[in-house]
Amino acid sequence: MAVLDQTGGVARAAPDRARPREKALRRRSSALRRAFPYLLVAPAVIYLLGITLYPGAYAIYQSFYLVRFTEWIPVGFDNYVELWSDSEFWQALLNTLIIGGIALALECVIAMALAFFAYRDALIRVWRIVFLMPMLFMPSAVAFVWKLAFNDGRVISDLLRKIGLIDGNLDFLGNVWLARSTLIVADLWQWTPFLFIIFVAALQSQDQEVEEAARLDGASWPAIFWNVSLPMIRPVIAVAVVLRGIDITTMFTNVFILTKGTPGGTTETISYFIYRQGFQTFNFGYASAAAVVMLVVTILAAQLVVKRAFRSGKA
Amino acid sequence: MARIELRNVVKRYGSFTGVRRMDLDIADEEFLVLLGPSGCGKTTTMRMIAGLEEPSEGEVVIGGEVVNEVDARDRDVAMVFQGYALYPNMSIYENIRFPLRMRGIGKSDQDALIRRAAEMVELGDFLDRKPGALSGGQRQRAALARAVVRQPQVFLMDEPLSNLDAKLRSSMRVQIKHLQRQLRITTVYVTHDQIEAMTLADRIVIMEKGVIRQIGTPDEIYSDPADTFVAGFIGAPPMNLVEGKAENGRFTAPGLVAACPPDISGRITLGVRPEDCRVVTDGPAELAGAVYGVEPTGETTYLTLRTGETLFEVKAARDARFDLGAPVKICFDPERIYFFDTETGVRLRAQPQRSAA
Ligand SMILES: Nc1ncnc2c1ncn2[C@@H]1O[C@H](COP(=O)(O)OP(=O)(O)O)[C@@H](O)[C@H]1O
Ligand SMILES: [Mg+2]
Repeated sequence: MAVLDQTGGVARAAPDRARPREKALRRRSSALRRAFPYLLVAPAVIYLLGITLYPGAYAIYQSFYLVRFTEWIPVGFDNYVELWSDSEFWQALLNTLIIGGIALALECVIAMALAFFAYRDALIRVWRIVFLMPMLFMPSAVAFVWKLAFNDGRVISDLLRKIGLIDGNLDFLGNVWLARSTLIVADLWQWTPFLFIIFVAALQSQDQEVEEAARLDGASWPAIFWNVSLPMIRPVIAVAVVLRGIDITTMFTNVFILTKGTPGGTTETISYFIYRQGFQTFNFGYASAAAVVMLVVTILAAQLVVKRAFRSGKA
Repeated sequence: MARIELRNVVKRYGSFTGVRRMDLDIADEEFLVLLGPSGCGKTTTMRMIAGLEEPSEGEVVIGGEVVNEVDARDRDVAMVFQGYALYPNMSIYENIRFPLRMRGIGKSDQDALIRRAAEMVELGDFLDRKPGALSGGQRQRAALARAVVRQPQVFLMDEPLSNLDAKLRSSMRVQIKHLQRQLRITTVYVTHDQIEAMTLADRIVIMEKGVIRQIGTPDEIYSDPADTFVAGFIGAPPMNLVEGKAENGRFTAPGLVAACPPDISGRITLGVRPEDCRVVTDGPAELAGAVYGVEPTGETTYLTLRTGETLFEVKAARDARFDLGAPVKICFDPERIYFFDTETGVRLRAQPQRSAA
């Protein structure tokens, strides 16, 4: 204590002895020092605000207007009221839930199954790199390859016929579930690895002693996985699923390139609906209202999932 | 309920040998303690018994059966880990139930077994809690309960008390020993704490750098150490070891002259425990030195002397007080002086100098 007081006294005494000009200088430099961290992160923050907060606020603002090119007519909640009774909007919402839900569920199950077999494997580094690859391709380029495979080039149709699973050609755009499954398969291929890599990392970083304890308690590997490992990595699963879920809700590229919503709007996702309202019918206020609704729904859903996962992980 | 044998067991990690040529025979119902400094291969040895680590060479035998090829889950071995390794998502009740569930013990029998195990470690009131809501000592006991609940053949404990505070450690020590005697399960216990080893063990195995230095009862290890490593490791404060020369039945070192067996000569290390020394005011004495430090512990007073280059510790009377630098003379208990080869550290026993101690 005595030592502390002494040094504190010395530090306090020093500025008094300094001359006024030096004092002012020192004060300014300490202000700079305090501001320095903020200056460092400022570019990133401004950038982020510029690409998220500003457009977001703009969309909310715009959603209360009827926008005809340069003419903005305030309409209050009309856009939202119209959305409520727009069957195309509800259809798009349903499509997104169906396509996204099935894709997300399959991706989770497949990624988790693969992670279960891979995370104790000696070759796990190799697996990680192999699985990373689909994510490295540009989504639109991949979409064009799928377009070739499913639709234009009929590669998949031909393959299925060769192995005798079907007789004629499959028209992947002509059938609701075939069209939806092309979107699901395309998403699966590119994004299952994302979940796989996160799940493997989570499984590898769990306390190994706990797994060993379960082993000695007589549990088989599947039993350990189910009873011990999975519950332990639950928060990580939740976060990964939310991230992937948000991504899937905004599914656009594949829809735009592969199906364009056909047949009969059964593959039109919310993002494509918004795009169509905005950039095909130039109904920007209406598109903005749909985007705002989606934003709110997504935030609420994500909050719910994450909160539940973290709460039951504790105490 | 099982005898454990390690036959010529070796464990290598790449070019590094963690355990070399270990031969060990652990009797049924014995409480065996593996004692040694950190990194000497205790955990590795235990993990090989558990089946969590495969020996590079040699055989592990449990209950007369070579178990090298038997999976950990089929060895009927229970282990208490240093970090407890409780299942964080399960209540204490579920934690204790897990081994029963995994081994297909009927639901109707489970509850009684769980409650009995929890009672044994006095955890009956905490069964609904998650491990995160328990103190270190309670978690420790929960881990014990989970290990004992299915009455395993073998009980393994890896430094189970090292995360507890000193007071809790001594009370848990008593509980563990009581539990082991009650259940009569062959137990291997790993620790680097010699007090734990001395108080718990039927027999102690002292290891250093992957090699067994001595196996014996606590009494044997204490009063009949095989080499300077064991001598220096056991006892708190440890045995004084003074390097010197032996000639014609006399051992000499700076400030120290002692009688030694006539057939011992050359560069010798003398060992004597602090508690086998006596401060004398006059008359003949083996050692003369100056007081370097005084440490009263309440129960007794430890006196550190400086003789020549070495510091020498002596247990003095409880109320003994000395001035720093004061000259002091020390007498050794002639029955309890040990001589070691300085070069190899090996104990030299010229004659049966130790009659009944
Ligand atoms: N998986 C491993 N890979 C490489 N070296 C290891 C491994 N496990 C243990 N070792 C080494 O083996 C030696 C003995 O380790 P361990 O049995 O854990 O010691 P102790 O339990 O006595 O402190 C240590 O030097 C340690 O570094
Ligand atoms: Mg260890």
